[in-house]
Order: sequence, then structure tokens, then C-alpha cells
Amino acid sequence: MGQSPDFVTPHLQSWTPGGAAGRRFRHGGWIADAFPHLRRGSTQVRNAVVGIVMPMSATVPELSSPIIDAYRAHPARGCFDELVTDTGVRAQAEALSETIESMGRPGLLAAREAVRNQVAADGISHGAGGADGARNWVVDPLPLPLAAAEWSTLETGLAQRARLLDAVLTDLYSDRTLLRRKLLPPAAILAHPGFARSVDGTLDTNRPNLMLTATDLGRDASGNWLAISDRTQTPTGAAWAMANRRVVSKVLASLHRRSDLARLRGFFLSLTGTLLDAAPDAAETPRVVLLSPGTGSRSAFDHGFLATLLGFPLAEADDLVVSQGRVWLRAGDGLAPVDVILRRVDDALADPLEFRSDSEIGVPGLIEATRRRQVTVANPVGVAVLDNPALIAYLPRLCTELLGEELQLASAQTWWCGERSGRQQVLTNLERLVIKPVARQAGIPVRYGWLLSEAERAELVSQIQAEPWAWCGQEPIELSTAPVVTSAGLEPRRFVLRSFGVSTSDGYRFLPGGLGRVAGSIDSDTVSRVADALAKDVWVPAAAQLGSAELARPRLSVARQAAVPPRVARTLMRIGRLAERAESTARLLKVADDLAEDFGSHAGSSGAAALSLVLRAVSGITGCERDIGESNIGYLARITLDEATPGGVHHSVSRLIAEAQEVRDLLSVDIWSIFNRLERTLATEPADSVGLQQLLADVLESLLAYAGVMAQSMVRDSSWAFLDAGCRVERAAHTVKLLRYTLVTEPRSVPVHGPWAELAAEAVLRAGESIITHRRRLAAGTGPGTGWESVLDLLVHDQANPRSVAYQLVSLVQDLRLIDDAKLAAQAEAIAEVVAKFVDADQTASAAHLEQLAASLAGLTERVSARHFTRQATRRAAETTWAVD
Amino acid sequence: MEQDLRRYRVRHVTGYRYQDEVEACYNRALLRPRDTPEQRLLRFEVASVPEPELISDHLDYFGNHSLYLETRVPATELVVRAESVVEVNRQLPDLASLNRWTLAEAVEAAHEVTELELVDFSLPSPLVAITEPVRQFAAQVLRPELGLGQALMALNAAIAKGFSYTKGATSVRTTLSELLALRQGVCQDFAHLAVGCLRSVGLPARYVSGYLETSPPPGQPKLQGADATHAWVGVWTPAGWVDLDPTNDTFVDSAYIVTAWGRDFSDVSPLRGVVFSEAEESTLSVQVDVERLPL
Repeated sequence: MGQSPDFVTPHLQSWTPGGAAGRRFRHGGWIADAFPHLRRGSTQVRNAVVGIVMPMSATVPELSSPIIDAYRAHPARGCFDELVTDTGVRAQAEALSETIESMGRPGLLAAREAVRNQVAADGISHGAGGADGARNWVVDPLPLPLAAAEWSTLETGLAQRARLLDAVLTDLYSDRTLLRRKLLPPAAILAHPGFARSVDGTLDTNRPNLMLTATDLGRDASGNWLAISDRTQTPTGAAWAMANRRVVSKVLASLHRRSDLARLRGFFLSLTGTLLDAAPDAAETPRVVLLSPGTGSRSAFDHGFLATLLGFPLAEADDLVVSQGRVWLRAGDGLAPVDVILRRVDDALADPLEFRSDSEIGVPGLIEATRRRQVTVANPVGVAVLDNPALIAYLPRLCTELLGEELQLASAQTWWCGERSGRQQVLTNLERLVIKPVARQAGIPVRYGWLLSEAERAELVSQIQAEPWAWCGQEPIELSTAPVVTSAGLEPRRFVLRSFGVSTSDGYRFLPGGLGRVAGSIDSDTVSRVADALAKDVWVPAAAQLGSAELARPRLSVARQAAVPPRVARTLMRIGRLAERAESTARLLKVADDLAEDFGSHAGSSGAAALSLVLRAVSGITGCERDIGESNIGYLARITLDEATPGGVHHSVSRLIAEAQEVRDLLSVDIWSIFNRLERTLATEPADSVGLQQLLADVLESLLAYAGVMAQSMVRDSSWAFLDAGCRVERAAHTVKLLRYTLVTEPRSVPVHGPWAELAAEAVLRAGESIITHRRRLAAGTGPGTGWESVLDLLVHDQANPRSVAYQLVSLVQDLRLIDDAKLAAQAEAIAEVVAKFVDADQTASAAHLEQLAASLAGLTERVSARHFTRQATRRAAETTWAVD
Repeated sequence: MEQDLRRYRVRHVTGYRYQDEVEACYNRALLRPRDTPEQRLLRFEVASVPEPELISDHLDYFGNHSLYLETRVPATELVVRAESVVEVNRQLPDLASLNRWTLAEAVEAAHEVTELELVDFSLPSPLVAITEPVRQFAAQVLRPELGLGQALMALNAAIAKGFSYTKGATSVRTTLSELLALRQGVCQDFAHLAVGCLRSVGLPARYVSGYLETSPPPGQPKLQGADATHAWVGVWTPAGWVDLDPTNDTFVDSAYIVTAWGRDFSDVSPLRGVVFSEAEESTLSVQVDVERLPL
């Protein structure tokens, strides 16, 4: 235990809470609070303050590093800190601390802001999508550097732990020698809800079954790494770690450039290779999918980004089906075999036939398919038995027995209450231990002995005595601290690290560093809840990377036709429609706003007549009526900005973004910054009509950027075809509506000739993005005689104009052929022929034609949906209840 | 030793009828009687309508035959028929000889046995939670000083006399605590209660599912639970496993045909499944015929 300096720098005052400003705490007496009970201890320390209030004029010996010095003197700094020692800075953090000082407080805060913006731009989120709120991931701008040697040692220990856990897993689901020989107390496993008896005998004993590992680690007061718990069931977070790196390396670009870091990419390449290699023998070109619970999962971002990093599609339960004892991906009319499933659905929910029958995110028959060796699931179902703190107590013994090695990576001292000695230890020391149920279950929280009242403690004791095998006691760790940028300067926060490992042919490999997390507040002692925590980018020097050449081993895999399951097809088509709806609506609103600006106050003018025509189109197309007394601008702004107005721009954009999140793995990462910009644009309130013009121009620019990214980043396969088809049917339908509301509105208010007719026609052409062609043709004398003839020509017939109905149908035919649906392609062609024959013979005929065209388009859209988007029927449990006996 | 060899044919037909079409159906069936030292399976056939895409069989964790049926033909009705021919030769346990041990001594002996299986059958299980009411009920009946045979008889009697056999009063979700308050149920409930009581005092106990001969021998009353699947209890004793039937206040002899055993009903449900259908409601029908065959 070192001594803190005998002074406080002036900075101290600004961030030390309350009246504690300037007080000096003796480090030896400060039991930093890894857990809340120690906070109580700390209060006592605060009360019995040993420090003296120092005069503000105290000399500051190291003016060169005021921020670091202030941080070092911070009373909340842990016994072990990741950045500083009692007298200096950790060797691996020297460059970082120089950067910190050179940035100064304003620079640090700017970096924090830049990180926030980058997170928003990259669309990095945590939490479920939809109303109850995904929120942006919070990353501290300061990376957390680890020393090369330290990481190498840790990695070796983690690899050993992974080998050990793998051996335990395989034994538990095959011979159970460990239990028969009592190397592991049988009840510690047999009473654990994660022990899945229906999986017994399904593992392959000739190869590693634990393909992925994740372990939460912390450092104790002397800086030793300790394993706290294992997360093998759903080892979430590696993709978040990659996201952290992308953000921090951009914001601290210069420091990042100067630091020669171990790359994260290799881990994901290894994982890709491992999953391909895990395919059952027969598979020559294995198909791998990432089974996700869906966007309702709190970790949806991690799943989606992981799928992108690995190059495997995301699948949900509805996309998969078991037939003839193997798993298939539903693709169009057919089924494509699935060989490997990277699973992010909990054990208990993975197969409703074997486990919880009410699961809607699992695949019935999955376990049978694994038993038949038709599919490999990573990690195998049943692995939850390893996420059992009771195991920790026996790891040293198991390591010696199974591997013939000493356990290298220590764990937080843990006792299992199922054994008499462990139970006694826990009951005797209840008030200072962390009491954990052996399985994470809803309604059974981890309890901290020191926080319990007398009654609660007695209750817990009786619970332990009634079911001793269900409980463990764990020694609390006084976690290390790491600095976090706050408006009050650098604050020490408790730090934990989640490591990620993958089994390769060369043994277990680890993501260099891992996902660092620090407590959400200064007085928080645990970092257990992801929701409250801040992320840290953990930096490991390249020198520490094991065999980087092998890590980056690219595996040759034969490109195969992408199978598009109905859910994905439907989502892609919706994305296409919503983006187009947002764009065409914005375009129409911009024209209306322009007219309103010019003619709104000139009632009776031709401009005003054109305006009222366009406004009628606006309300007809969006379905949003103008409120009584609402101004033109107010009305147009509402349709643009009000997220709750269906048919409005903001509404379409919000739905577009939500749909895009469903298929994140298929989309270019570049679209997220565009979406972020769109959301920001739509969150602003324009001052006037000109402001609204500008806003709509910005929206259109973003939507065009979006369209450009999509067009340039997607292969023209069936995924693209569904996306494009959505765009085509929407644009065709919009154009037909536009014409119905302007050209043939009853009573026909638009004279074919005369100045205001031209004005109105021009407005429609502008809304249809065809005004320039019209003018050019007019100037060249090659176009039709009147504006309305031009409207019909350009927006309906002209197959060369990408805005015409005819063009949409031609494209749609191509899309449907790409989807391999000749029947619907022929129907689209038939509609195109009707369009070609369409002439504006008279008003009634036009109205009838347009109406019929609209109906044909809607019918075609419905048939696409019926043929390609069918979900599986609702799954229901069927059990012989004993009420009938 | 006296012989009581009997041969049975068991027909077990389960039908699900749905209001709407079923797209696909996945079933796990524990319908194939297991071989035991007292019982031999001579023939077994399982068929289902519509024709399944796949039927397969494996031995599960407890050594039971577990069938997997996968049906992917649209239908509104699913029928699974199992037919077994089984020979049984099982004597009633010698209760007097079990009285060589007191209950306390038997419990002590159980602690010394290291078979893994006994651990599984000693712990609470999904449908057998050892709550305070269960402990209290058990403590009144299973007194440590009783002879083991006496104790088991007492348990049988306490359940058979203290609870009325009522269909529909309980379901798979009824807990033992609720059952103890309700004082009525069916064979599954009584088997669970007996299992819970035995485990609570430290005797390993398993839940056994199977069948009971339909036609009663002349002069004896017709047993409840006939013409249906039945459930009873196996308890570990220093003399081996002893099966008792608390529903009928009796011990298990050649009238009983064992299908499967496990920790509780959730391990050995005769037929469970997941169907894909928009049908909100379904009707279930189960028909069991146990027919004595000439030897």
C-alpha cells in the first residue's frame, strides 16, 4: 500500500465531492470498494478523516502532469489502478498519460463528445430495439493499455482454463467420470439447472466442444488477475469490443497510430474458420448461421455486428426448420441445409421440444439434429452447466487431474455450500461474502452479505440450509480502478475485463484484450450490470499477440448463393419501400413548401391554385389531413417532422431504421452514419419555410446518399432484388397516386392549357424529379406541347426515365426474375403492357386507368408477400397433461 | 421362488385434434417399455398418422427408450399408436424382510452408496420441490424408528387414505404444496408426493410411468388408474429398488408394466410435442388397453 501525496493540487477541489474537497486520505486506510460493504467501510474512513485540509497555496511539484497527479490523488482510486502507481504512471500507459496531459481537460471533454458522436454515427447500441429503448453504447475515450508480458501470461492462463472447461464439459455429457470419481461433487452438477440431461451423449468426444469462451476477470488489490465468472452459454461482447476499437482509434487517431497494437480482426477470422471447420463431416461447403433471439434482444447490436464480422447471416427461429433430422434455412420456396449454428439463444430456449416448450426463439428438433450429427451448435446446448460458480471451487483439483497441470489463472476464492466444509465457511463468513446462486435465474439475485439486514441474513441462512447445493459464497474482490473522462476531470472507476476465446486447430486463441467495462458511477463498486457500465477499449501491444500469422489464416470457402429466408426478404422489401416513401414524400413536401413560400399569400393567383392542387396531393398521398387553422408551413412541417404521423417523412425514416436493424448483417456499415444524420436533421425545428426547404433538402441528400451506398455495396442477388422491388413498387404506386390527385382530380380543376396549368404540371414534374428533362426537351422542341402531356410522357411511359411507372415495372420484372419467380415476373410484364397502352384519352378514362393501375400494383405487391414472406405457423406446446388420466 | 409370469399386449393411442391445420409437428415419445430384470419387451411397434418424415429411437439419460417423431404433412389430426407385447414376472416385495432396517438405517445406508444415479433421485427436481409442507407431511408418516417396510406401507396408506382420486383437480403445474392443501389429485400427483416425501427424509426415489392391468382378478376390486397410463414410485432400499403405488395403496407386482423412469413426470412424459398451427384449441384423447395374452 503506497501513500498518497501529502498535498492536493488545486484541481482536486473541483472534483472532490461535497465538503471532502482538499482532504487527504491515507491510502493504506482506504479500503476501496469493490463491493458495497467496503463502501460502508469507506464512509467510516471518511468520518474518521485522517487528512488535513491543505491550504490552496500548497506547492505543486509536478506541474507538467496536473491531470494525472490529480487523478493519482483522487480518494476513490483503488489500491491498484490501471493508469497510475502511487508515484508514477504504469509503463504501458506512458504514451496515454502524455496524450492526456497534452489534451488537457477541454481536449478530453472534446474527445468524449467525439466518441459519443462516433458511436451515434456507427449506430452502436445496447438494449432492445423499439419503444422500450435501445440506447447508445457508452464508451470512455481513454483506452486501457495492458503490458505485453502481462497479457501473454493472462492469455496462457485463459487458454488453460478454456481447455479445462472443455474437458469438463465433454466429460459431463459423456462418461461423467469426474462425478463418478467424486473429483467434482455430483450434486454440484446434477442439481444445476444448466445440466441438460437431454443433451447427454450428443457431444463429439474427439474434438473440442467448447468452441467459444468468455470469462469475466478482475484484478485484486495487488494487481493479480482473477477470474470471477464464465459466460460460455452466450459469450456476448466481442463485436462490441471491435466497435469500441473502431471508435477510439478514430478519436485518438494519433495515439492509436503511434501504438503498435495487436489487431482484433484475427480473432474473428479464427472464429470464422473454427465454425466452418466444425461442420459435420459430410458438408463440403458448410453453411453457417448466427441464431439470434432477434432485435428484441439486449445484445442485438453485438449479434448483428458479429454476423457482419464473421460473414455469416443472422437467422431467427422462424428462418430455420428441422426436417428429416437436420436443420434447414427457409429460402424462398425451398430449404437450404445448415451445417453450423453459432447460437445466441439460451440453452433453455434453444429447443422447445426438449426444454421450455413456450420458447418462440428456439428450433424444435435442434437437439435431435445434433444427436444425429447433422448440425454443430456452438457452443453446444448444455454448456450453461459451466457457468456455475460451484465449479470454480474445484478447478485447481480438476486441472491437475484432467490436464496434469497446475491451474495458472486463479479465481476469486469460492466455496460451494453443497459440501459441509464450504457451507460452514460461507455461513460463518456470510456478512463479508458475496452469495451467489449456482445458476443465474430470474428472481434469485446475487446477494452481498454485508448489505443484508439481520432478518434477511437469517432468511438466506435458512435458504442455504434447505438447498445447500444451490448456493456458493465468493470472496469479494477489491477491483482495480481505471480513469474515466468526466466533466469533473478524470474519475477512477472499478474495472472488469471480459475475455473472448475461440478454439482453433492450434489451441485456444483470444481476442487481444477483450471488452473492458468500468462502473457507471464513481461510488459504484461492481461492474456487473452492462446497462450501467461504460466500455473501455483495451489495448494490447502487437508484441503480445500469439502467432498472428496463423490467427489471420484466411480460409477458402466457396461462395454460395445467398439464401434469403422469408423474414429477411420481407424486411428487405420493407426497407426498400420505406426509403422510397421517405424520399418521394420529402420531394413532394419540398415542392409544396416552395409553392407555399412563393404563392401562399397570393390567393387567387395561378400559383395559389397550383399550391392547392399540390397540397391536395400531399394530403391524399400521406393520408394526413390539414388541421383547421393550421398554416401551410405548419402542416408541411408536421408531416415532415412528426414521428407519430404515419405517411410522414420522420415516421418512414424511423421505421426504415428499425427495419434496417433487423438485417444489420446484410447492410453496409456506412448506412448507419447516414441514418444518424437523418435522425439529427429530423430532430431540428425549422424556423420558417426557408428553413423547412433546407431541412427537406438535407433529408433528400441523406436519402440519396443512402440509396448510393446501397446501390454500390450490394451484390445483385436475391437480397438486392427484394430491396429493389420494394423501392420499385413504392415509387410506381406513389407516382400513380400523384397523378390521380393532380391530373384527374374530380372535378377536374386543372385546365390543360394556360399559365397555371403549366405551373401545376411543373410542380408535379419537380415532385417526380423530371423537371430538368422536361425543360431540356421543351427548349429543344422535342417534347410534348403541354406540361401535362410531358407529365404523362415522363412519369408514366418513358422507359428511359428512372422516375416513370414504366421504368419501375421493367426493373420489377428484373427483380422478380432474380428472385426466380417467373410467374410474378410475367404478371409485372403484363402490367407494363397495360401502361404502354395508356393514353390520356379523356378524364374519365384516365381516372379509370390510373385506378386500375394502382390496383394492379397493389395486387402484385400482395402476391410477392404471399409467395415469399410466409412465416411458419405459430408454435404451440402439445403435452399429454395428466388431467385426462 | 414363486412365479407370476404374465404376458400383456398394451395398445396406447394418443390423438390430437386441432381446429385448424397443423403445418408441422415434432414429438418426443416415451412409449416403449424398457427392459428390466422383471420385465421383457417382446415386440414394439409405433406408427403415427400422418406418416412421419422421421422416427428415431435412442436411450436417454435414464436408460429409457426415447422416440423422436417428426411430421411435416399438413393435417388437422395427429394420432400416435404404440403397441407393445411385454412379459412381466414381478413379485410383491417382502415387506417383513425390509423391516430388518429401520427407516433411519436405510437412509444411512443410502448415504454410503456412491452410485451417481442415487444422487439424481435424491435431489429435488422440476416438479418435485421439497418444500416445508412436504417435509412436514413426510415427517409425520416416515418416522425414522419405523421398520422400512412399515414406513413404506405407512406412506402408501397416508396418501391413499388422505387424498381423494379426482380427475381434473390438478395439472402438470400443480405444486406439491398446493396438492397438500387440495387433498385430491391423480396418480401423477400422488407419485410426485411420495417421491418428494421419500427424498425429503433422505431416501432416493424415482418416478415410474407405465401401465396397470385392466381386468381385475376375480374377487378383487377394480383398481383406479386402469385403462390409462399410470404412474407410481420406485424407492431405493438396501435390498434394491422397491416399487410402490400410493394411488392404490399397494406395492407393484406383475400387474404393472414399466415404460420409463426419471426424476419426475417432466423426464418421462409419454408424449410431448411442438406443433406449428394457428389453431387456438385442440382436443387430446388417450386410449390405453392392457390385454392379458396367453403364455
